[in-house]
Amino acid sequence: MNLNVVIVGHVDHGKSTLIGRLLYDSESITEGRVEEIQRLAEEYKKRFEFAYFIDSFDDELKEERTIDTTGVMFKSKDNYYSITDVPGHKEFIKNMLTGASHADVAVLVVAADEGIREQTGRHAFLIHMLGIKQIFVVVNKMDTVDYKEKVFQDTRDKISQLLASFDYQYVQFIPASALEGDNIYKTSKQMDWYKGPTLVQALDGVMISTKSMPLRFVVQDTYNVDSEKVIVGRVESGTLRRDDEVIFQPSNVRGKINKIKIFDGEPQEAKMGDSVGIVVNGEVKRGDVCGLVGVPPTPTKEFLGEAVLLENKLRNGDKLELRCGTGKVQCEIKEIKEKINSETGEVVEKHPAEIGENEAAIILFATEPLVVEKFSEIPELGRFVLVKNKNIGAGVVLEAGK
Amino acid sequence: MLELKDLENRTLYIIREAYAEFNRPAVLWSTGKDSTAMLWLCKKAFFGKIPFPVIHIDTGYKFKQMYGFRDRIAAEWGLDLVIAKNEEAMKAGVGPQNGKFECCTRLKTQALMQCLEKNRFDALFLAIRRDEHGIRAKERYFSPRDEAFKWNYKDQPLEMWDQYQNTTEDKTHTRVHAMLQWRELDVWEYVQQENLPVNPMYFAENGKRYRSLGCEPCTSPIDSDAKTIDEVVEELKVTKIAERSGRAQDKEKSFTMQKLRALGYM
Repeated sequence: MNLNVVIVGHVDHGKSTLIGRLLYDSESITEGRVEEIQRLAEEYKKRFEFAYFIDSFDDELKEERTIDTTGVMFKSKDNYYSITDVPGHKEFIKNMLTGASHADVAVLVVAADEGIREQTGRHAFLIHMLGIKQIFVVVNKMDTVDYKEKVFQDTRDKISQLLASFDYQYVQFIPASALEGDNIYKTSKQMDWYKGPTLVQALDGVMISTKSMPLRFVVQDTYNVDSEKVIVGRVESGTLRRDDEVIFQPSNVRGKINKIKIFDGEPQEAKMGDSVGIVVNGEVKRGDVCGLVGVPPTPTKEFLGEAVLLENKLRNGDKLELRCGTGKVQCEIKEIKEKINSETGEVVEKHPAEIGENEAAIILFATEPLVVEKFSEIPELGRFVLVKNKNIGAGVVLEAGK
Repeated sequence: MLELKDLENRTLYIIREAYAEFNRPAVLWSTGKDSTAMLWLCKKAFFGKIPFPVIHIDTGYKFKQMYGFRDRIAAEWGLDLVIAKNEEAMKAGVGPQNGKFECCTRLKTQALMQCLEKNRFDALFLAIRRDEHGIRAKERYFSPRDEAFKWNYKDQPLEMWDQYQNTTEDKTHTRVHAMLQWRELDVWEYVQQENLPVNPMYFAENGKRYRSLGCEPCTSPIDSDAKTIDEVVEELKVTKIAERSGRAQDKEKSFTMQKLRALGYM
């Protein structure tokens, strides 16, 4: 199995060090890399750090902080992992979200000697907004508090309180020291009072369940192949079968799947995640979503979403571009209903006039006809980005057609 | 590790996204294993025929076998091949003796820059992968470059849920890294599965083989007995040697690769 794990938490709480430690202890570091980093550390007059295995910009080394997200892979005894490091500074939230958006589970790193800080809360909130349901809390730097159980318990209680408002389905706490290697990959000899798993053991136990969802196929383009019109796109949910009676929205085109086409064949069906071509009678366009006639996609002109803004401001009446699936439409901020504190998840203001950078809100969007789905039902079509010359915000659909 | 099928599906999706959003895309082909796999994936995305040009940057220092392989595949696959050369620098005799940083920048980066300007390409498919080099692990799938070719690595776009940033101002281009998630082993397993042609230099002769192909003066082979695709796959499952260990420009100085890439190097 492959598990996508994002490591989040406040700056300097040890995220990059934790990943460096994982790579080192699982013997995933290539030959000569340790020496290379020792040489770099000397050149920059720094102490050898596990974080340098992944912080590869010279500015990251000089400033001793992660600027952008990094993806690395490693293998435990049982599993393959794609591990994503994200920066812990407030100014790099967009890089954090970029890294976290493909994760199955999250590891929240909290330093035992500092406890909850600004980005601890914000990252926990954003991870919850992205729909991640399982979170592993590493209470790190236990070596700096003499591995005391009491410190772990106090930190755990405070974080439990913080996380209570974010409906996580599974939360597990692990006392650790990434620097010393305690309870990351190897069981700590310093904390006899802890009987639970190491981080890697805990991750090895993760099960990702996939629920059954109705067919949704997003249209990317139409190609002419041997004088045949082939609609290319991806099955985002459910299964697409030859001879299915389908409908494309918002084009409102009904048809039958005459053929499923790939480069070297014509399969009978295509499953979630498959990039395929289909042959259907009727003109459809990029941005259309196809579903079975019995459980059709519904185009909407209005929906309620929860979004976080990373740059700029948003005011009632603002117009900008919204993208969902392959759909790209103009939208209007019809009403900002509630402003949410992205550190705590609390509603801080009802009907605010505007929201600013790094603020979250519940917003009523008015759009050109577009298919969106409730995020909790079909996540692949329940998430969107906001664009004003560039991607400036992201959100999820709370209620479609409202 | 993702299954080859997942990796392929994802790459096909990205190729088609870029093709739909940009006016004049092109794909970069070094003739190495990764970019040859990239060409194959482009063929698959369009059901056989790649509908845009294929650029080969010729520094004049490539291995003879690379030119032979290039011309053979270009003919077999019906490629619209564009050869990019910085003629001026080549005439002036620029070479590794000028220092690797300058040589790579002038013969590769500037050759590409001239080619893009001349052909007005606005998107460029590249087969770089996150596991090749720390600096490449930091890349986005869609990476905008400014007029001067620069990679603003300190301010990369928000890229979530396959919503790629595809707006480019005039006179700029976007790098499309459609294989970013693939690992070296995945590429070889894909070569094996799809029975793709590869340059014979990747296979061992007298106990040495090339693991990464570049220019002749700056590329050295590694110790290996892997003589077939199957043996290369087996070797990669256990090796602890870095893939680009035979590529001199990566190691000339600390962060050379970052500096090269900030200027637009691949």
